[in-house]
Amino acid sequence: MSLIRLTRRAALTAGGAVLVATLPGRGARAADSPYRVAALNPVTGAGSTYGGGMQKSILFALEEVKKAGGVDGRPIEVYAEDTQTSPDAAVLAVRKLIDANKVQAILGTWSSSVSLAVQPITNAAGCLLFHVSSAPALSAPAQNPKHLGFRFQAGSPQIGAAYAEIAAKQGAKNVAVMAFNNDVQIASTTVFKAAWDKTGNKLAGSVVYEPNRTSYSAELQRVLGTKPDLIVVSGYVPDTTIILREAFEAGNTAPIIIPGWAWSPAVQKAVGPEALEGLIVFDSVPDSEGAAFKTYDAGYRAAMGVAGVNNVYASMAYDMGIVLALAMQKAGAAADNAAISAAVLEIAGPAGQKVTSFAEGKMALKASQKINYEGASGPLDFDANGDAISVFGVNKFHNGTLERLYLLK
Amino acid sequence: MSGYFIAVGTIGGIYALLALGLNLQYGYTGLINFGVVALYAIGAYTSALLSMHGMPFAAAMASGALLAAACAWPLGVICLRLRDDYLAIVTLAFAEIVRTVIISEDWLTAGPRGLPGIPRPFASMAPDDAGVAYLCLVAAAVACAMAVTAGLVRSPFGRLIRAIRDDEDAVRSIGKSPARSKLVVFMIGAGMTGFAGALYAHYLTYISPDQFVPLLTFYVWIAVIMGGAGRIGGALAGAALLTVFLEGSRFLRDALPFIPEVQMASLRLAMIGLALILFTIYRPEGLLGRPAR
Amino acid sequence: MDGVALLNLAVTGLVQGLLIGLAALAVSLCFAIARFPNAATGDFMTLGAYAGVAVQGWTGSLLTGAAAGVAVVAAVSLASYGLVFRHFRGRSLVAPLIASIGLAFLLRSVLTFLVGFDQQSFRVPVARALVFGGVRIRPMDLWLMAFSVATLAVVLAVLFLTPVGRRMRAVADNPELARASGIRSRPVMITLWTLIGVCSAVGGVMLGLRTVVVPEMGWNILLPAFAAAVLGGVGNPAGAVLAGIGLGLAEALSTPLVGFTYQSSIAFVVLILTLVLRPQGLLGRAEAVR
Repeated sequence: MSLIRLTRRAALTAGGAVLVATLPGRGARAADSPYRVAALNPVTGAGSTYGGGMQKSILFALEEVKKAGGVDGRPIEVYAEDTQTSPDAAVLAVRKLIDANKVQAILGTWSSSVSLAVQPITNAAGCLLFHVSSAPALSAPAQNPKHLGFRFQAGSPQIGAAYAEIAAKQGAKNVAVMAFNNDVQIASTTVFKAAWDKTGNKLAGSVVYEPNRTSYSAELQRVLGTKPDLIVVSGYVPDTTIILREAFEAGNTAPIIIPGWAWSPAVQKAVGPEALEGLIVFDSVPDSEGAAFKTYDAGYRAAMGVAGVNNVYASMAYDMGIVLALAMQKAGAAADNAAISAAVLEIAGPAGQKVTSFAEGKMALKASQKINYEGASGPLDFDANGDAISVFGVNKFHNGTLERLYLLK
Repeated sequence: MSGYFIAVGTIGGIYALLALGLNLQYGYTGLINFGVVALYAIGAYTSALLSMHGMPFAAAMASGALLAAACAWPLGVICLRLRDDYLAIVTLAFAEIVRTVIISEDWLTAGPRGLPGIPRPFASMAPDDAGVAYLCLVAAAVACAMAVTAGLVRSPFGRLIRAIRDDEDAVRSIGKSPARSKLVVFMIGAGMTGFAGALYAHYLTYISPDQFVPLLTFYVWIAVIMGGAGRIGGALAGAALLTVFLEGSRFLRDALPFIPEVQMASLRLAMIGLALILFTIYRPEGLLGRPAR
Repeated sequence: MDGVALLNLAVTGLVQGLLIGLAALAVSLCFAIARFPNAATGDFMTLGAYAGVAVQGWTGSLLTGAAAGVAVVAAVSLASYGLVFRHFRGRSLVAPLIASIGLAFLLRSVLTFLVGFDQQSFRVPVARALVFGGVRIRPMDLWLMAFSVATLAVVLAVLFLTPVGRRMRAVADNPELARASGIRSRPVMITLWTLIGVCSAVGGVMLGLRTVVVPEMGWNILLPAFAAAVLGGVGNPAGAVLAGIGLGLAEALSTPLVGFTYQSSIAFVVLILTLVLRPQGLLGRAEAVR
């Protein structure tokens, strides 16, 4: 069994780039057909905050698989490329991976436009695509006809429903919504508004705001004018920082809900504990006490030097490696991607014996037991469309720290 | 393996078409067009939307080119009688407005969600053959643009526009109106840019507003400046260099393993910035251009 | 939309406008005297903000941080004149414009290479706004307005009340005549680029105090700054400042009509209209335009 990370030498000639690639598998035994996996992540570009960590997480997940004896009859070979968080660069990267390196599974695309641009190519080549993008279109039957695509984070429908449930639990009657103007935030807040309507409560102001603005006072003025008793702010770190600060300055006393990816120590530093008091943050890494998370965290600290909890996407990427390996183990040495895809749904749960590592899962599978992998990023149960069903943790900022209130299932 | 090179060649060809368009505008006529990405987006969205509603490819792509050229008309009318840098600022502003419109008018453009499922020509062929066919299509477009540029440049009209680039007052003094000629060139170049956008949209089969960033305009500029403004070969050389640079930096990471990946993006941008500065100071005629003296 | 709400929007717009005005002043000074639009102005501002945050982090003092920001950017500005822009004297403005874009990219990428892409922020207390009859004004905004006005006043004072400022304006009006009458360009240029650096740095620090410090922050305000410089009239720095304030107000006050997405387009629509109707800008001279 071998896990080879190949190095590539490129010689540039006058006419273009001449690529010399060492082809894999020359020394492998005929009986062991290697399975080639690519870690394709936003190492540079807008997603670079997460991409480097994601790539390392996939690599050490597959390393863990190898150390546990690997998948029976299927040596795994790993390639790694950078999407540059750009669809153009990603398309070229995927072409290289599929044509030159003959990969069969692509793990870890992050940006929705990257995943959407890459999916037609991976579908045509019959490759698996594991991603953490939020565009609802990715799991629509038209875009994912052979079920080769799996979304390792909650989709917008689930996020929107979570907002509604949290708001209801808070006892709010008049909720305002501020949404960052991009695909996923608009989709989640639209779902929220529909769900909130059904509860019969009132929707106060609703605003879509633009990125890269220096101030959101005008938007806040509109929202606060409707006197909400709760505000949902669905955006990212820089804009959320400005909104939280300006909301406090504008005299807001209503609690604010933000998603976990909009929260970071930078926000706390910029806004300060007084203004953040009562802030509600919900995230989809609920079980940081779980065994899989601990393994992931240890690996992340070793590879990146910081705690794994800072990069929720990397925990999802780690799970991609483990889930793929477990699915391959279940599907058998001769399985094609269709069979592996079906196996993903089986090993991910929710039914079956709970396992939290590849070694544990492999042992149970060899004993012909049904398993349910609970991952570092969540329970990782997939719905029929290949979207992960998350468990959310709801936290409240109180007296300078974030405390867990409850879990949303 | 060849699939990868075909893909690189296709994207490189699209850059070549963009460079040819800008070269016509700036290299031959001295127009500072900072709105390349907006015309590119207009061509892309127009062709995508029309073909998604059933228009055949040729008509849809042509419409993309025509609409881009049409959008260049009001910009030209406003700016081309004024200082050079006004066109620069206005086209920059125009690019921002176009992007904002694409994001806001989502009844038309699907806004930030983008347009997946754009039909692709040659879909009935086997995937590998379709890739080669698309490359041929792009190559044909580039060849056309080269022919148009060459034809224009060699004609009396071409002499006129080069005279405008070199000394506008002299042209005015012999009774010709530079603004009209500049407008024609601006629109033709815009048409090329729009066609490149259409080719891009159908190749990727998915477009969204955040693929049309201002950085793209400056990529095309650097291709034209490095290759040599005012020469057809310069535009092609610049586009080739640009493609090699952008794809080559993928392999550079292996050569420079001590640089963490996050910093590679900074390094890439730094090299583009440095190249722009050095070329404009020390070799303004580009790699293939003749020195002005 | 009632009067109080409008006044609140106007306050927002005024502060925003002063920030645009500072950036526009830097752009306009370069436009007028060095005769090209300097696209690196935004990244000068970003650099000032980052330097300010860093020094505030080391010393704990905001004032020291701001002063450090000013010093760093003034130095970088002078260096860019000496290393880059000096070479373009006598050439068309395209070359320094393109070079300034290259400089912008270079500055930004050096910054992100050293510091990364994560958001930074100044350490400032966050407090409730002061309320005057329904109109809210943040204490921070009052400070920002005061400092912006002070900086603008200092720069304009240098320009209009000092000998070197007079020489700068002479160069702006008619470079050949200025040279012929013996005005040496070196001291003028040094003063010019120092002033540009100071304006940009102060603008960057103000911007960072008001919002967050991210690599793209200056580039994002560059376009409104260009629009204001053109609007105010080429060769008229004071006009650029007024135009900047006007644009800030227009953006904020337009939101009830055009919505939040299109508010950023207001600056550009105004710019295009100005060029159609009055190409020399509100306060500029016609000859500078053709």
